[in-house]
Amino acid sequence: MSTLKLLFEIALRNLRASAVNLIVGGLIFFGTVLLLVGGATLNSMDSAMSKSIIGSVAGHLQVYSSKSKEDLALYGGMMAEADVEAIQDFTQVKKLLEQVPNVEKVVPMGINGALMAGGNTIDLTLADLREKVNRKREGDQSPELEQRIQSLKAHVRHMVELLDRDQKNLAAISTARAQEPENAEAVKKALAEEFWEGFDRAPLDALEFLENRIAPQASDADLIYVRYVGTNLDDFQKAFDRMEIVDGQAVPPGQRGFLFSKWFYETTLKVKVARRLDEMKEQIEVNRATIARSEDLQRMVKENKAQTRDILYQLDPQKTATMVEQLQKALGTQEKDPGKLLALLLDTGDQNFQERYRLFYDVVAPLLQMYRVRIGDTLTIQAFTRSGYVQSVNVKVYGTYQFKGLEKAAMAGTQNLMDLMSFRDLYGYLSPEKAEEIKKMKAQSGASMIDREKAEDALFGGGSDGAGREVVVQATPGVIDESKELEGGAGALRRRDLVSRVYSREEVEGGVVLNAAVMLKDPSRLWQTMEEINARAKDAKLDLKAISWQQAAGFLGQLVLFIRLVLYAAVFILFVVVLVIINNAMMMATMQRVREIGTMRAIGAQRSLVLWLVLLETVLLALVFGVAAVLTGGGLVWWLHGVGIPAFRPELYFFFSGPRLYPELGVGTIVAANVVISLVSAISTLYPAITATRVSPVVAMQTDE
Amino acid sequence: MASIVSIVDVVKEYQLGKVTVPALRGVSLEVGAGEFIAVAGPSGSGKTTLLNLIGCVDVATAGTVRVDGQDTRLLSERALTLLRLNTIGFIFQSFNLVSVLSVAQNVEFPLLLQKRHAAKERRDRVMALLEQVGLHTHARHRPNELSGGQRQRVAVARALVTRPKLVLADEPTANLDSQTGATIIDLMKEMNQKEGTTFVFSTHDAKVMSHANAVVKLADGVIVGREDLGPGAAA
Repeated sequence: MSTLKLLFEIALRNLRASAVNLIVGGLIFFGTVLLLVGGATLNSMDSAMSKSIIGSVAGHLQVYSSKSKEDLALYGGMMAEADVEAIQDFTQVKKLLEQVPNVEKVVPMGINGALMAGGNTIDLTLADLREKVNRKREGDQSPELEQRIQSLKAHVRHMVELLDRDQKNLAAISTARAQEPENAEAVKKALAEEFWEGFDRAPLDALEFLENRIAPQASDADLIYVRYVGTNLDDFQKAFDRMEIVDGQAVPPGQRGFLFSKWFYETTLKVKVARRLDEMKEQIEVNRATIARSEDLQRMVKENKAQTRDILYQLDPQKTATMVEQLQKALGTQEKDPGKLLALLLDTGDQNFQERYRLFYDVVAPLLQMYRVRIGDTLTIQAFTRSGYVQSVNVKVYGTYQFKGLEKAAMAGTQNLMDLMSFRDLYGYLSPEKAEEIKKMKAQSGASMIDREKAEDALFGGGSDGAGREVVVQATPGVIDESKELEGGAGALRRRDLVSRVYSREEVEGGVVLNAAVMLKDPSRLWQTMEEINARAKDAKLDLKAISWQQAAGFLGQLVLFIRLVLYAAVFILFVVVLVIINNAMMMATMQRVREIGTMRAIGAQRSLVLWLVLLETVLLALVFGVAAVLTGGGLVWWLHGVGIPAFRPELYFFFSGPRLYPELGVGTIVAANVVISLVSAISTLYPAITATRVSPVVAMQTDE
Repeated sequence: MASIVSIVDVVKEYQLGKVTVPALRGVSLEVGAGEFIAVAGPSGSGKTTLLNLIGCVDVATAGTVRVDGQDTRLLSERALTLLRLNTIGFIFQSFNLVSVLSVAQNVEFPLLLQKRHAAKERRDRVMALLEQVGLHTHARHRPNELSGGQRQRVAVARALVTRPKLVLADEPTANLDSQTGATIIDLMKEMNQKEGTTFVFSTHDAKVMSHANAVVKLADGVIVGREDLGPGAAA
């Protein structure tokens, strides 16, 4: 006991004698705190993210075809959607999965991306006008309709004027991008008085001219990439109970329909100026940012001032006048130019932001269509099918949805939901018997249908080469199937009917899906269940593969692992440095103390005592700074657990499974940290300690020369 | 007179690279219990080597070294250490105190290594010895707070605290001025006479030699003469 006390004292005093120990101790302290706080944060992030992934789209397990060329990646691969082979008949798969005792629910899925022809403002207005014109041609002579047509005409004319002005401005600043003469000519024609006088005589010709020659010139004409999960929507909502409808309603059971993710709806489809104002408001209110200090906010102000065009396009002359009048009054100015007025409104600073925000939503917003797609609209989605050509499907947008806690998480928000039938149409999978069927049908397909397809191709710039009738027909096996069932299936009519058709569960499930989410009764038995499913699939000779949610999440599942590796690498490097420093310091100390050690040995100290003497020194060092680090790190984590780490960027919502992450320090982390420190100190001192034991007592007798 | 050290035909060679350097070339020596012997000779004559062999910190290349009746060649490293701990006390030319420990702790150190003394006994022995060497007032001082002579007195106390049969001192006065050196020798002599502890010390200082009751003269690794100075040889 007393010997130990003495050793302790020697070690402690030796430690105090050297300043290097303070540096070493500091490094041990820093490394341990990093390990503890980082480890706790990552562990919590891991479980938060698993909650996010499992609760949003993955479920506990995912099954897909084992014949797939690539691994399933629910959140998309690095470049494109993963090349996953289709499961021909989901019924069979479902039956197999439901026999596994631990399986609670199975949700069929298919993930794909498509281009959504939302159309630009001119497109939308022209479509509106075309619909009204058609109604008039069908015999509706009501004065309201006539008034509406005239108003729309004025709106289109107004937009052409705006377009003309924009292009002239553009030509003035950029000589390189000179306007193509035929485009300029088209605009000139559309501006002319004669064109509008002649509109009512041949409205369809005029409309076609505007749709084909003017609309594509508007710069907000673009196709939006929409990622969607085709699924059995009823089952999906039951399985993922964090899902909730925000706007509109759920898709009626068994019907075709589309649900936008609220996040996607807000970020992609909302009028950009409004979106930016929302973002600014959030940054100012939640993150306490100020326009004066935040470059980000200043950029948004600048963009808002410059990009008022899509608002101006939306306003017909009457609405423009309303807006000008109200803004003049509110802003106290005589400015007559609506663009300049808007820019004035949007030129916000920290003092007037809230007031201007309210003003925008009170005065400007009611005049606008705030979203490019409204709830209740029918959406035309174009997708490249498996066979490579473009297919389009019309689905009704029933509403928007979100996952509770993940409202702002882009990762959870990029998936829009669609019914399985529409998904299959877009996927365009050709089973052998269907291909046979189509062959037979080629001869029968009607001309009216092809016209419709052609028109769409022209309108949305669909790239099917040649757009021949056969190509289009082949792309829509599912549709053709149904059009045969629907009697007198002429194109336009057929599509309208499909929107309201109710499908039976057998129809929905008895076809192609790409993958399926499996919810488990007992998630802790995930791996056993996974193996069981794989074994059963093998026995049943189904080409089926079950993977965990982590694997299914693709790069995202590996992201936490990646961050963890980075942390571990940092800590590892830090501790290697510590190791080297301790090793050097102790080696030097040993060398300096050779005579002292030799003396102790001569006096009668055994080798083991010398070993302990050196080891104890490092152990003490590690103990003192390690305990301090555990206390500090534990305190830090405890504090963080109390206040939560805010998801200061929206991207983090997904990783935090909510607006804040509450890290928890597990016993495992503390144990791991202690094991690491002990190992590092032991390994680093082993060599100096062994060297010290080899010091011969003879050196005590040597004299300094 | 019983021999505490018995050396017969001892050869010690050092390997310096490929060259073998002989340090002792056939030395025989008997040291009786209670003797106060000086080993004298010029530098490189083998004085320190001889003391190393007697002190069991080194082993002979050939010949036998018996300390307290035990053949050191037959002992394990562990047993040699125990022999040093329990039978031999050391006084070094450069004092060799543990710098981070206090005077009292330095003296107590060998007692702690022996692990058989209660705290009170250790304290009593340490304080008694410090009083004998005149440093009881410096018990809490650190070695670097002491003069050379004081340090060597602490070393003497440390060498004697286990009540060894034999104390080896390698040039104990070489780093001290002659007056201080003399007091150290006097101290050693006093212990020799009071406790009957055997002292073997090396020196090339004639004054120091004069205190011994026998002087063994070494030159080129062999004993060239042994001079018994008579009285006080045995207590």
